[in-house]
Amino acid sequence: MPDCVIQTRELSREYQLGSEHIHALRDVSFAIRRNEYVVIMGPSGSGKSTLLNVIGCLDSPTGGEYWLNGQEVSRMGDLALARVRNREIGFVFQTFNLLPRATALHNVELPLVYGGHSARERRLRATEALARVGLADRMDHRPNELSGGQRQRVAIARALVSRPSILLADEPTGNLDSATSQEIMQVFHRLHADGQTIVLVTHELDIAAHAQRVVTLRDGRIASDERTRSAA
Amino acid sequence: MSLYRVFEGVGIAFASIWSNKVRASLTIMGIGIGVTVVIGMASAITGINRSVTEMLETAGPKTFFVVRYWSGGITISDGSDELSPWRRNPWMTVEEGEMLRNLPLIRDVTLQEGTSGPVSYESINLSSVSMAGFSPSWVFVTGGEIRAGRNFTQLEYAASARVAVINDKLAETLFPGLDPIGRRIKIFGQPFEVVGLHVEAASLFGGGGDSRLAMPHTTFTKVADYWKGWMDLVVMPIEDATVMEAQDQVISAMRSSRGLKPKDENNFAVVTQDRFLEMWDNVTQVFFLVMFALSGVALMVGGVGVVAIMLISVTERTREIGVRKALGATRREIMFQFLVEAATLTLVGGAIGLTVGALLAGGVRKFTPIPATIPLWSVALALFASIITGVFFGLYPAHRAAKLDPVEALRYE
Repeated sequence: MPDCVIQTRELSREYQLGSEHIHALRDVSFAIRRNEYVVIMGPSGSGKSTLLNVIGCLDSPTGGEYWLNGQEVSRMGDLALARVRNREIGFVFQTFNLLPRATALHNVELPLVYGGHSARERRLRATEALARVGLADRMDHRPNELSGGQRQRVAIARALVSRPSILLADEPTGNLDSATSQEIMQVFHRLHADGQTIVLVTHELDIAAHAQRVVTLRDGRIASDERTRSAA
Repeated sequence: MSLYRVFEGVGIAFASIWSNKVRASLTIMGIGIGVTVVIGMASAITGINRSVTEMLETAGPKTFFVVRYWSGGITISDGSDELSPWRRNPWMTVEEGEMLRNLPLIRDVTLQEGTSGPVSYESINLSSVSMAGFSPSWVFVTGGEIRAGRNFTQLEYAASARVAVINDKLAETLFPGLDPIGRRIKIFGQPFEVVGLHVEAASLFGGGGDSRLAMPHTTFTKVADYWKGWMDLVVMPIEDATVMEAQDQVISAMRSSRGLKPKDENNFAVVTQDRFLEMWDNVTQVFFLVMFALSGVALMVGGVGVVAIMLISVTERTREIGVRKALGATRREIMFQFLVEAATLTLVGGAIGLTVGALLAGGVRKFTPIPATIPLWSVALALFASIITGVFFGLYPAHRAAKLDPVEALRYE
């Protein structure tokens, strides 16, 4: 499947927590095509965060294969994984995770610093990314001078700035009120319309309703994988 | 690009220093003390070095010493006579001084023999004043000047007269605010007349330095209680002769007068200012060793503080490390960031130490006769050492940060 961004085959992730052996993922096989908007749902402990971490190359599977853009990530070492995270993955967290002392612009520039881009290019691209999320006028503000919704938009800009092949969001509205949540979901919707591939983890049904496809996990396995609406 | 990261690291370091003032200042203090020691000692030694050189120069750059024995600083023995090799060497004599004075390449020779002993004036009793017996030409040979009164004369010398030339410091102590000339003092209990006031040219041992006095050598041997056998001859060559030529002439004259055979070694020593400087260098080397040891200990103590504060910093910023890793920071980049932070911490300590050291040097210059100056190399060394300390002691915490698991780190509360 040439159009696949992500492809996994019998992916599994096991932990040893004290004397307890935990099977967080069991034989997860699925694929995500370019410009798909996928929501991963499931009760807590179902393995959705683990799956997102593995897809985001923060965690390595203990079994199976994971291919990202034609590269077998599951065989990569630490350094290569860092490079993949930098170039291919954009992360959005529930708690925003901005650097508190840095301005919005600096926060957004950070991935480009690790990507080794020049100062001029960093500034240009960070400005552009902030404009895309509607924060062109808040570039010099620090996180504590921004509202929750604005912070999350800065975080989205940071995830976008390296032009990743996939945007991963872990409960991105979990810390926001419903009005702001809608705002953020609008941002995701727009990005998707612009061609961005998005994988979003949530447990809220109304958030899931924004996606084209909902993958539900239970006990580390895919319980259901269905299209919700006509493809956008 | 990596320059940006250095600046970022420096910025973070300053921010974390600022938000943890007490913790950081304790760490910084250790490094600061180490650097203060380096700078303070280095400037003092440089100052002393300079004044020693100046002193030797005022004594006349060609003046050299003929002495009974010269150890050259820390040399212990050449093996022939166990621990007291000087026993083989006969004392220097007044006659040898006369003999050398008559050599064609020699302009003048002064006998010099010193000790310390009690000096009193009316109710003032000093128990230990440095004093020396000289030939009348001593001022000319050893430098300095008679500021008031006069030197003792040839006649007084021949008569072992009880006359003394005192230095400004001693005058100040014995007769504060009074004219010292003509006053009667007691040296080793014997009545003396002060005939002159001498001021040493070199600042180290003059000015604010020791009290001292000079008297005719003939008087000295009669009056003073001293360690016999250690008279030195201070030799000043004529202007047209080089030190080497004059020295050769002195050596051959001494050898023939002492009846040494060609294969015998000299049973006396000729000490030129080069040799003296060499010895002085040995002494300063010991100083420097002590200094490095002291500041090394201080830097170690500071370094342990660096480990502690950096471990705390890593723990506090676990989440941030997770975020940075998620954004694509490699282990090496995380490590680098924390090393820069540690080095900044110690560099700040170094800079503070440098400032305190400089103030100290300024104080030494102002309140002591030592013209303390801060040598550039010590500044470079101090800053370098503080950076190295930061990097070295930052390695472990930085390594801990670098190997954090990103998933765990992001989950950290």
